[in-house]
Amino acid sequence: MDLSLLSFVQIIVAVLLIIGLMVGNAVVMVYVERKVAGFIQRRPGPYEVGPIGTVQPICDSMKLLGKQLFVPANIDWILFFLAPVLAFFPVLLLFLPIPFGPYLTGLGVGDGILLILAFAGFGVLSNILAGWSSNNKYGLLGAARAVSQSVAYEIPMIMALLAVVFMSGSLNLSEIVAQQGSWPWQWNIVVQPLAFFIYLVSLVGETNRAPFDLPEAESELTAGFHTEYSGMGFALFFLSEYANMLLVSFVCATFFLGGYKGPFLDGFWWTFAKAYAVMFFIVWIRWTFPRVRFDQLLNINWKWLLPLSIINLWLTAIIMKIIS
Amino acid sequence: MEQLINPILDTLLAAIFSPLAYLEDLISAYLPGQQIAALAAFALYVLVILGGGTAAVMSRNLVRAMLGLVLTFLGVAGMYMLLASPFLAFMQLLIYVGAVCVLIFFAIMLTKNTAEGEEARLPSPVVGLYGLLAAVVPLGVLAPLVIIHADKLPQVTYGATDTRLLGEGLITFDVVPFELISIILLVAMAGAVFLAWRRRPEAGNDQ
Repeated sequence: MDLSLLSFVQIIVAVLLIIGLMVGNAVVMVYVERKVAGFIQRRPGPYEVGPIGTVQPICDSMKLLGKQLFVPANIDWILFFLAPVLAFFPVLLLFLPIPFGPYLTGLGVGDGILLILAFAGFGVLSNILAGWSSNNKYGLLGAARAVSQSVAYEIPMIMALLAVVFMSGSLNLSEIVAQQGSWPWQWNIVVQPLAFFIYLVSLVGETNRAPFDLPEAESELTAGFHTEYSGMGFALFFLSEYANMLLVSFVCATFFLGGYKGPFLDGFWWTFAKAYAVMFFIVWIRWTFPRVRFDQLLNINWKWLLPLSIINLWLTAIIMKIIS
Repeated sequence: MEQLINPILDTLLAAIFSPLAYLEDLISAYLPGQQIAALAAFALYVLVILGGGTAAVMSRNLVRAMLGLVLTFLGVAGMYMLLASPFLAFMQLLIYVGAVCVLIFFAIMLTKNTAEGEEARLPSPVVGLYGLLAAVVPLGVLAPLVIIHADKLPQVTYGATDTRLLGEGLITFDVVPFELISIILLVAMAGAVFLAWRRRPEAGNDQ
């Protein structure tokens, strides 16, 4: 590695770009989500502030910034303030190995997907710390649910990704994209439809989104693990939730939908188009399906997704052995 | 522009994962003595590991003790990065932070526990002495062996380990230990199920 002052400046620029992406994504997605929700539920959604309500997320974030920080009694101070920070910062790292474009790869990390999976574990750690430290029974229940849910859904998710890794023989995201073609029938989704389906279901579980949003189920637990957070603490959780959604969408686009490759002209626009298509899907099912019960949630995982993903892995290995 | 951004991000991992390894490269560009910087990184990780371990042992609160454990695991992952094996470092984080610590938290929640942790007491001096013995004896046995046979340690080549080679090693040369470990895990799992197994009461009087 040869490093100079210039590269040091470049590092800062890259981190700032990722933060910009995360914040911009959250602002846009809040608006899009509310509009889509309105459309699906036959109501207008935000329309008061600015033209067709486009300034609404700005106003919301201003309100959030100006809010009083409320701190409940008898909390664990260190952990209470550590949790939102721990939720936000690891997500920054996770965007590094993703190949946004042919050359616009974060880092050519050899084991890029492992980096993402490894640091994704900090998300659930922050959830449980938040739920536990805020000295609130709803928070604690939300934390308990977050633990069992994310431990469960991590396994089929990794297994689904592993099937693709089997085929491409690489843990490097850029190489996985490079092995797919430009046209939709050359993407991994065609040869790994079951893995794609498993990943799609478990990414909803992994990002705690409805219909699998049991850790923060409003009707049962007020707001679950972040019940006691207000102002910036809440904003950081919110930001990291949307960043996590974006991340799993990017991983989905990279692994199954050809990444930056697309018809006519490869480039970062395809990565973003595909990732946001997946995002739209996540939003769509949130407002279409009712929340599942907690035992149903775990049964879906342990009795369906896990066996299916093992069978898929096994079939992939056998077929690869036969073909090669 | 893309050619410009690529090297930027290339350097980013080094900067974030092992800040001191990065600093070491920065220093070695101007000063000789890369080894000093490597030692400094080593010292930092040792401090992180020891600090985390101390927090885990001395904390009066189970969740904080778990956080100390997380800190220790992070330090160990940093050590693996320093040894140029990112695969092990990521696995350390994935398994120990992402799964083991989270399950420990689950176990903590099944116990009655409050944020103040007033129910916890420090162990008696005798127990502390035993703990110290348990820590020092393996060190006393292993450290002299390592120091005596220092010249027989395998020579490590510089550069990151290829994950493919690691995988091939696990299914060819090291297949027996690998399978033995899975048997141990299987036995542990079966034992856990056996211990936790309790016949459900007959229908009708389960409340």
